[in-house]
Amino acid sequence: MRIRLEPRWTKRLLELPESGMGYQRVDIRLIDGRELKDVVVFNAEEIEVPDEFARTQIKDVRLHTA
Amino acid sequence: MLRLTDSNTRALLAQPESGMGYQVVEATLSDNKTKRGVAYNAELLLFEEEPRRIMLSTPYLRLLESARSAAGEIKSLRVISRATVTTLSAREPSGSAVHKKAGPAKDGPKEKTKADEVFKRFSAYPNDRRVASDGSLLSGTYATTEEDARNVKTGKDAVARYALPDLAPASNVFTVRPNKDTDIQRGIVEPAFGQPGGGVEVIFTNGTQPKTVTGPMKIPDE
Repeated sequence: MRIRLEPRWTKRLLELPESGMGYQRVDIRLIDGRELKDVVVFNAEEIEVPDEFARTQIKDVRLHTA
Repeated sequence: MLRLTDSNTRALLAQPESGMGYQVVEATLSDNKTKRGVAYNAELLLFEEEPRRIMLSTPYLRLLESARSAAGEIKSLRVISRATVTTLSAREPSGSAVHKKAGPAKDGPKEKTKADEVFKRFSAYPNDRRVASDGSLLSGTYATTEEDARNVKTGKDAVARYALPDLAPASNVFTVRPNKDTDIQRGIVEPAFGQPGGGVEVIFTNGTQPKTVTGPMKIPDE
């Protein structure tokens, strides 16, 4: 599912390069310690995550490096 | 679009794939001319100048059934190394093809824009966040060349050609006119997210200057 990022993450992502036209591939670290690798953020403000992660809070977002 | 013969298929199966399920090929035709295209599943050949959007809108088996047979039309098929694929959609103003190494823009050489060069950015979002309020592009923003954008008639075409992960049609088109000598890297979009790619992509590594972006103009979704 797609969730909207908090403005602070959007602000950070806008300082980082895109991975393609209109999107960024990122790794996210969650407050509960779990990590999601290589997920897509659209327009620096919406992120596609599995449903089970919909309610968890993000601790950090970094660009995914292959 | 041609349905390849058993002989064509055997010849392709003896050569490596260019990506999962497809081969970028050069076909020598019965009149000894050569044409480039993509062979899907070693059985269906779509020439470079043919629109790929049909692959999105029509089930593959139906395409295969309806395609004209290649019998008597193709003398040979050769898989082209990805490193030497020529981008025929990218042309100099003189009309001569630019020989580009296939590969994503992030791996492309660092270049400078020429005077009056124009680029396009296709976006699913009219409020594209990479377009700043002063009419500049942020650092690390992708676009395509004006020439390559001519291959895109709909937002769904853009999704396919630029291998975008968001299936929402990228129907908002921004026009970018950077100053001469703006830093860019050019490349070819690789297949990704189930999309064929193949378009020209450009990264504005340090963004563009204020008042260089206009739009968006809306094109049809499909």
